[in-house]
Amino acid sequence: MKKLLALILSLVMVLSLVACGAKDDAGKDDKDDTNTIKVGLICIGDENDQGYTYNFMRGKEAADAKLKAEGINVDWIIKYNLIEGDPVAVANEELAEEGCEIIFNNSYGHEAAALPVAADYPEIEFVCMTGDQAWADDLANTHNAFANIYEGRYVAGVVAGMKLQEMIDKGEITADQAVIGYVGAYSFAEVVSGYTAYYLGAKSVCPSVTMKVQYVNSWSDATAEANAAAALCDQGCVLISQHSDNTTPATTAQSKGAFHTGYNNDMSDVAPEASIIGTRIDWTNYFVHAIKCVVEGKELEQDWCNGMAEGEVVMTELNTAIAAEDTAAKMESVMDSIKDGSLKVFDTTTFTVGGQAVTTYTGAWGMNGAEAIADGAYAESSLRSAPYFDLRIDGITELNA
Amino acid sequence: MNKQHEPLIRLAKRDGMSAKKVWAIRLSSFLVAILMGALIFLLMGNNPISAYGAILTGSLGKKTAIRQTVKIAVPLLGTALAIAPCFKMRFWNIGAEGQITAGAMAASYFALFWVDKIPGPMLLVVMGLAGALAGALWALIPAFFRAKWGTNETLFTLMMNYIIIGIVRWLKGGPWEGRPGSQIIPNFDKAAVLPKVFGVHCGWIIVLMLVVLIYVYMNYTKHGYEISVIGDSVNTARYAGMNVGRIMMRTMCLSGGICGLVGFMVASGANMTLSDTVAAGAGFTAITVAWLAQLNPFAMIVISLLLGVLQKGADTLQTRMAVPTSISDIITGIFLFCMLGCEFFINYKIIFRSKHKEVSQ
Repeated sequence: MKKLLALILSLVMVLSLVACGAKDDAGKDDKDDTNTIKVGLICIGDENDQGYTYNFMRGKEAADAKLKAEGINVDWIIKYNLIEGDPVAVANEELAEEGCEIIFNNSYGHEAAALPVAADYPEIEFVCMTGDQAWADDLANTHNAFANIYEGRYVAGVVAGMKLQEMIDKGEITADQAVIGYVGAYSFAEVVSGYTAYYLGAKSVCPSVTMKVQYVNSWSDATAEANAAAALCDQGCVLISQHSDNTTPATTAQSKGAFHTGYNNDMSDVAPEASIIGTRIDWTNYFVHAIKCVVEGKELEQDWCNGMAEGEVVMTELNTAIAAEDTAAKMESVMDSIKDGSLKVFDTTTFTVGGQAVTTYTGAWGMNGAEAIADGAYAESSLRSAPYFDLRIDGITELNA
Repeated sequence: MNKQHEPLIRLAKRDGMSAKKVWAIRLSSFLVAILMGALIFLLMGNNPISAYGAILTGSLGKKTAIRQTVKIAVPLLGTALAIAPCFKMRFWNIGAEGQITAGAMAASYFALFWVDKIPGPMLLVVMGLAGALAGALWALIPAFFRAKWGTNETLFTLMMNYIIIGIVRWLKGGPWEGRPGSQIIPNFDKAAVLPKVFGVHCGWIIVLMLVVLIYVYMNYTKHGYEISVIGDSVNTARYAGMNVGRIMMRTMCLSGGICGLVGFMVASGANMTLSDTVAAGAGFTAITVAWLAQLNPFAMIVISLLLGVLQKGADTLQTRMAVPTSISDIITGIFLFCMLGCEFFINYKIIFRSKHKEVSQ
């Protein structure tokens, strides 16, 4: 007993000494600095996904540096691994209570939980990235933001299509064997819009291409994504793309001898023999814009959506070792036409639904019957930032919708 | 010649320790936990004093913080109360997680599809009853199998969790899905949301009433007596003419019913929707709460609040000092470990083999 007591006492002494010594750096809080703004960021995962949340961290860091150059210091408070429900509401409230002036929620599933909190804190701005309610709810302090990632997917599709066409031309596969496998998260517009754009990109350079889509029903489930990619390869897909958060579809494609194009991140480090290119949203501009609006007391738009022309959608480096010949030049010209508006990704002359060309469409989910076709194209993300292209076009098969 | 080999360490049951000494041991184990936690903070390069300060102010420092802490404690307390009678009976109900989910699912059915058919307050009553009934039924299945065929209730109740969570997953991607493809069930209408009292959904009042009810049930009723006899010895209970199987099923129904009610409170009061993570581990953490409280309902209030403080505090700790949440989990683990561990030292003493003395037979 005595020994134990002595041990505890000595531990107390040592620790209190260290504790006193450590006190100095805790006191250095620059709270009076008027140019410092507290910003909250709630993430569905963490940087270790090397995909979705990692991409937000990159945007956050770049925005941080840009704002610092303009004399605005940002005190970021980041909450990780929050998926949905009450924990997300608690996190939003916690950040609001800790003095954040603007709070970003980075996943679609956050929105339902964040909105009731937003109603309680009208002086704080709540941004739900990829969300779709800001234009519909009656709160002035809720915002949605997205980017025209379908433009990037179209370009990635062109790169993929060129590879497939090259394989056909070299006799490695027949024209019928040009099948793309797509690992999709969920079967709603955000994903449908993405893979349709991708397919149209591929089809523009490889007319015989078809596509199979396998849903994993999760944004981030490394194992399920790998299994889906493997199943697609087993069904004859020779090239894999993905709308999910992890790099496992890339590594699986490589081990199955298929090619791959990625999302969120350059995946050619983990799959150098498979991953040709990737596309990602660059969140830097939006972070800078939204935070500056709050600092300068300006109104922040309820809906924000830019694309390739504004630098919000970017391509990762082309893996020239495996890409088809002349890919870089073709990419350049396609990107230029997207930027100047001469190329419309969802041009209605390039696809059919049930064998018919689409001339009018008012059935998009959650759009209250708004007409989605304008000027010979599906006007994606123009009425609100979150995608609403949910037509199922010919040439694409959903394996498990 | 018949000298026995004596092991290096021997455990012996202790009895009759004075209350003062018991509390001294508990207090010192708490201190040890604080010190060990401080060591972790130091290793992470944080000041332990401001870290503990953040935990306390983050969970109790403001009105909103206290509300969140209470909101976390409510399902823990409710579930601990639910499993207490089972554990008293030495019937290992590890299925609280599933029973909560079953209750939440049944309550959600009425919240989603009966909202315009039943008037406001009645709807909440119907949701609560449906939740309790569904939880009770979900608990009755393993109890029935145990009573009839002597199946292992630990495994059975555990497996039942996965089934019901799977069902909810199917519902949220299938018939109850809101936006097509979203795998999300829409938020409830306001009429199906538990009203707030002092800023927290009124589930806290319900669980406090349950504390008294369970206390009376366990200590002053025939049912409670039967439960404790079975807990001590099934054979004694049989000899005394008790229908052990029936009592087991009855107790599990009660346990599952309360779990189901908790599920209703969490879905309606906190989440305002149904998801497969509605139980969020409460069914398992409540086991710790129940044991730490030694199945005493009033002690459970303290323990569940303590866990609420640790959880909410850990959240603030991460917010203010960028301490990873996994570190907060480690701290919580250390506290639980020390507190559970000290009960061991209260009940047993350790005897080391003495070197010099010959043990006289």
